[in-house]
Amino acid sequence: MSSAAIGPPLVQAKSLHCPSCGGPVTLRGFGHTLSVVCPQCHAVLDVSNPLVQILQRAQQEQVQPKIPLGTRGKIDNVVWEVIGFQVRQIEVDGVPYSWDEYLLFNPYHGFRYLSEYQGHWNVIRTLPLVPEQVPSIRPRLRVKGQIFRHFQHCEATTVFVLGEFPWRAHKGEKATVDDFIAPPQMISSERMDGEVVWSLGEYWSGDQIWKAFQLQGRAPAAVGVFENQPSPHHGRAGSMWKTFLWMLVALAAMMFYFTVSAKRQEVYTQHYSFSTGTGGEPSFVTPVFELTGRPSNVQLAIKTDLDNNWAYFNVALINQDTGRAWDFGREVSYYHGVEDGESWTEGSSSDSVDIPSVPSGHYYLRIEPEMDTKQPSSMGYDVTLRRDVPTYWFFLIAFVLLLIPPIVSTARIGAFETARWRESDYGSGGK
Amino acid sequence: MKLFLLWGVAVLGFTGLAEYNGWSLARVNQVENVPKTVRDNPGAYRSTYGYYHRYIGGK
Repeated sequence: MSSAAIGPPLVQAKSLHCPSCGGPVTLRGFGHTLSVVCPQCHAVLDVSNPLVQILQRAQQEQVQPKIPLGTRGKIDNVVWEVIGFQVRQIEVDGVPYSWDEYLLFNPYHGFRYLSEYQGHWNVIRTLPLVPEQVPSIRPRLRVKGQIFRHFQHCEATTVFVLGEFPWRAHKGEKATVDDFIAPPQMISSERMDGEVVWSLGEYWSGDQIWKAFQLQGRAPAAVGVFENQPSPHHGRAGSMWKTFLWMLVALAAMMFYFTVSAKRQEVYTQHYSFSTGTGGEPSFVTPVFELTGRPSNVQLAIKTDLDNNWAYFNVALINQDTGRAWDFGREVSYYHGVEDGESWTEGSSSDSVDIPSVPSGHYYLRIEPEMDTKQPSSMGYDVTLRRDVPTYWFFLIAFVLLLIPPIVSTARIGAFETARWRESDYGSGGK
Repeated sequence: MKLFLLWGVAVLGFTGLAEYNGWSLARVNQVENVPKTVRDNPGAYRSTYGYYHRYIGGK
């Protein structure tokens, strides 16, 4: 048996002459072609029978397809040839929106379609089945378990044709189109002359198309978000939230460790009293105490018996050996009462401060209390100093800092979907 | 994702470092070379916050 007998039959393009201008017209779609556009005069010809007829006289508009007719490209490992091109248009609120459609042909696999709108491409094939309608407030379809949500309904008009088609394509041809999406896929129904054709489209980037058809230069950049364009953030937020949870576990473990391992060593505690109007120097120093271990914080707690009064403490923790001091002021005020039958409180009678990274050494405190000098005031207060006390502010800050990236990622998904649906029948945008 | 991992490691590392070294967000000034005479004469020391004007009062 010869190789010709087992291989696909060798097929030749067919030629005819345009009855409008007499120019040569090549048919690449073989017996499938019903209409063809003369490349010279752009008249649309009916080639369904040997007596070629003119369906439409020359079109005024001249549109140059981005992929020239006759170009071959490989999609899903099958070589396809561009044999037809049309521009279709819809009108929304008086504004026309148009997109390009290419007809691809392979003698052994039939037809495929390419659509392009502002740099967004779809590879489309007709569906051999009618999708199942899913009961819902908004129309939905189910194909092989995949749910497609209705995106838009429109009346499309063909405004330009070039090449050949397996139907009598012509300018002015109208179709009622409904799009249902499940990115990166899209199902479209086209109702024309009582016949409904279902098709399944898959989103391709311009770069993928350029590579598949080995086109020169770079694909035009995509503008905006297309209806079935896959979100670049899809799946990213989910994995980020998972990672965030792991980081949260690590943060909690760290917090547990520092809480358990903190020494909370009480290095000094003393009760004092203070009153105004007694004269003399209010400031005093404590006995020297020792701080040991690695540099860590020291917590000073002041607990007063203030009652509807205030006090201010100028405090310095001074290293007796080096002369270095940690200097700070703390205000303590506590007020309470009853107003209009409702009790209220303000402030607190105690306070504490964490002095950061204090090295080991011999220290003492200089304390200078102040109170209102306009009236006789007095208070008793306890001063307690603890070494290596766990604090939680940094854990709270870390929690917020870790939370930001997944929140931003989730917000991006929301923004992308908002931009997508803004272009639908259910959005508030234009098209 | 890699950036987020790096970010997370940096945040966790910084938090661990802050806790280990006992860093604090408190407003505390460091003063060098406090004279030893302060122990004998505490009134000679001038606190950074000694003349800090503050609101004090009830509702």
